[in-house]
Amino acid sequence: MAYQTPAVVMDNGTGYSKLGFAGNDSPSFVFPTAIATKGPAGGAGGSGSGRPAVAQKPSYLTGGAGPAGHLSAKRGTEDLDYFIGDEAIAMGSGPGYGIHYPIRHGQIDNWDHMERFWQNSIFKYLRVEPEDHYFLLTEPPLNPPEARENTAEIMFESFNCAGLYIAVQAVLALAASWTSSKVQDRSLTGTVIDSGDGVTHVIPVAEGYVVGSSIKSIPIAGRDITYFVQSLLRDRNEPDSSLKTAESIKEEFCYVCPDIVKEFTRFDKDPERFQKYVVDQGAGKKVTVDVGYERFLAPEIFFNPEIYSSDFLTPLPVVVDNVIQSAPIDVRRGLYKNIVLSGGSTLYKDFGRRLQRDIRHLVDARIKRSEQKSGAKSGGLEVHVITHKRQRHGPWFGGSLLGQTPEFRSYCHTKAEYDEIGPSIVRRFALLGGPA
Amino acid sequence: MLLLEYHNLLIQTLLTERFNSTTPTSIDQIISDFDGVTFHVSTPESKTKILVSISVKCFSDLVKYGANDVLRREYGPYVVEPEVGYDFSIVLDLENLPATQEEKDELIRKVALLRRNAMAAPFERAIDTHHSLSTEAAKFTAESAPETSNSEVMAIHYREEEAMYIQASHDRVTVVFSTVFREETDRIFGKVFLSEFVDARRRAIQNAPQVLYRNDPPLEIRNVPGVKTDESGDLGYITFVLFPRHLTRQRREESISHIQTFRDYFHYHIKAAKAYMHSRMRRRVADFLKVLNRAQPEQEEKEKKTVTGRTFTRAT
Repeated sequence: MAYQTPAVVMDNGTGYSKLGFAGNDSPSFVFPTAIATKGPAGGAGGSGSGRPAVAQKPSYLTGGAGPAGHLSAKRGTEDLDYFIGDEAIAMGSGPGYGIHYPIRHGQIDNWDHMERFWQNSIFKYLRVEPEDHYFLLTEPPLNPPEARENTAEIMFESFNCAGLYIAVQAVLALAASWTSSKVQDRSLTGTVIDSGDGVTHVIPVAEGYVVGSSIKSIPIAGRDITYFVQSLLRDRNEPDSSLKTAESIKEEFCYVCPDIVKEFTRFDKDPERFQKYVVDQGAGKKVTVDVGYERFLAPEIFFNPEIYSSDFLTPLPVVVDNVIQSAPIDVRRGLYKNIVLSGGSTLYKDFGRRLQRDIRHLVDARIKRSEQKSGAKSGGLEVHVITHKRQRHGPWFGGSLLGQTPEFRSYCHTKAEYDEIGPSIVRRFALLGGPA
Repeated sequence: MLLLEYHNLLIQTLLTERFNSTTPTSIDQIISDFDGVTFHVSTPESKTKILVSISVKCFSDLVKYGANDVLRREYGPYVVEPEVGYDFSIVLDLENLPATQEEKDELIRKVALLRRNAMAAPFERAIDTHHSLSTEAAKFTAESAPETSNSEVMAIHYREEEAMYIQASHDRVTVVFSTVFREETDRIFGKVFLSEFVDARRRAIQNAPQVLYRNDPPLEIRNVPGVKTDESGDLGYITFVLFPRHLTRQRREESISHIQTFRDYFHYHIKAAKAYMHSRMRRRVADFLKVLNRAQPEQEEKEKKTVTGRTFTRAT
C-alpha cells in the first residue's frame, strides 16, 4: 500500500484509557476505562438492580459476565446498548445502567466488556476501520500469555485488524524518556517507576526485557496522596474537604521539598507560601480553602510513608535500591544510570531530584562501607533519575513514538500470520526499538 | 450505539475545547477517519490560527463531481490553499470567531462534518439531476416518455478495492456499493445481514429504500469501465434505490448522510455481531466447564499397605 494509515495506539490502564494515533504528541482521548451496560431487566431472571453483595466466582468460570451482563439471554440489539468512558460514568449514575470496570490491577478481567469497550473505542471515538490500521496495545508487566492470546483473538477475529503489536508498558515508558535531553543513548535498559492512581510499580528493564523476579509494588499512589490531603483538610476543619477539592489541591499546589524540617520553618517565616484555593460548590456558592503544609507533606508520603500508613513503611528510594540490588549484577549499573519516571503521580516538582539524591545517598553509603571492608577503591556509580515532559502519558507516548517508525509494521504480527499459526503467535514479539 | 455518527468526534472535542478556552496552545494532531480519510489539525503560523486539512483517497473523483463547489459553499470564508499533501484546508482564527455560543457550536459542527460534506458532492449532483430530469419527464405523458432518461454513472473509488456508483434518473437515484470481503466469516455474516436489509422493506418498513444484493454487477453499472466481475464470490454489489420521497428538500441531507456511512455501518455491525457471538461462546464454555468440573470422579479411598503390612494413610 502506497499510502500508510497511522497506527492506532491504545493504552488501557486500570483507571484511564489513552487512545490515539501514532505520531501525535498526546493521546486523542483519555477517558476512564469504564463501561455502562443495561442492568438486568427487572423481575424475571434478574437479581434486582445493581450488583449483588455476594462475591463473584473467578471470571473465567462465569464467562466473565457478571449477573448484570447475561447477554446471552437477550435477543435483539441489547448488546449495542452501552456506553464507555466519561459517558459511562454519567450514565452509570442514573437509573437503568450498571457501571463496570473491565480492567482490574492492570489486567483485563472481563473480556466481554473489554471487547465491547474496544469496539466502541475504535468505531465511535477513533473512527477507524480496523482492517486498515495496525494496532499497538499495551500490557502490564507479568501479563499472563493467555491474556495476550485472548487479546489477539479479539483484535484479529472480531475486528480483523491488519496487524498487532503488544508492548509492555514499562518498556514503552523507557522509550518515552528518549525525548529528554538528558538521555544520550537510546537504550532500553533502565528502572521504570510507574505511579498511577492505584499502585506504584518499580520495574527493572534490561535491554527491553522486564526482570520479572525483581518487580516491586508499593501500595502508595495518587489516590493515597489525595486521601492524605483530604485528611489534612479535615483535621483543620476547612469549609470544603471533598475528594475533588483534595485532588485539585494536590494537582495544583503540591511539590517535593528537599527537607521537611527546613520546609516547615521556611513556611513559618514566609507566610506567602500559604495559599488559598477557591472551591466552586455550584449554585454560585464559593468557599475559600487554605492550603498549607500539605503542599509539601502530601508527596512526602513516598519518601516517609510512616506519616500516612502504618503497615507500609519502606520509603520509595529504598525500594528502588532494593529492586536494583536484586536484579542480575551485570545490569545494575545500567539500571542505576537510567531511572525513568512515568505516570501522573510522578509529576510533582522536584520529585525526580529528591529521588536521585536519596538513592545516591544509599548507594554512596554502601560503596563506602565496602571500600572500608575491602580496602579497595571503587570507581563510583552513576545514579540518574530522568524527568521528562511526557511523563503523564509515558507509555502511550512511547507507543506513539515507536508506532510511527517505518520499521514498526515489520515487528507486528499480521492477520495472515495469525490465521496461519493461531493465537499462540502473540506469545512472542520481536523487541521493538531495541538493537537491530 | 446503533448508528455511527456522521461527524468526527475528535475534531469536535478538540475544537470545542480550543474555542472555549482563553489560553491558546499549539496543536499538531493527525486524525484518521473511515475509508482512508486523514485530517491534520495544526497551528502552523500562530497559536490562534487553527488549520484543518483533509485528505481523501478519492478526492480526484469527488472533484470531478463538484466537491470543490460544495465545500466552498459550506466553508466559504474559511477556505485557504490546501496544505501540502492534503486535498482541502480551512483556517479557523480564534480571534475572529462568531460572537454567540450557538454560532460557535454551529461552526464546530460544520467543521466536524468536513468528511461528510466532501463526500456529499456526487450525491447532491445526482439529486439535482434527478429533480431536473423529473421536471423534464413531467412534460411527457407516460406513453411518450423517452425510454432511457438516465444520466451518466458517477463512480467514486473510495477504497482500494471498493467503489460506489451513483446514477440519477427521472424517478429515482440508484446507489450501488461494491463490497469485498477478505474474511470467510465476514462474508457469511455480511450475507445474512444484507438479506435482512433486502427483507426489511417487505416485512416492516414500507417506505424504506429498495435494497438489492447480488454477486454480479447490476445492469446500471455493467458498462462502466473498471467494474470487476469475478466468479470467486468475494465481490458483492448492494444496490440502494432512493425514491423521490427520500430526495425531497427536507430529507435529502439526512439521506445523504445515511447512505454515506453505509459501508462503515455495515462493517461495524458485522464486527458487533461477532463480538456478541463471542460473548455467547464464552458463556457456553463457562457452562461446559462447570459440567466438566462436576463430572470429576470422586477420589476413592483405597487402603494402602506398606511393605511391612501396616496400613498407611496419607495425611490430608
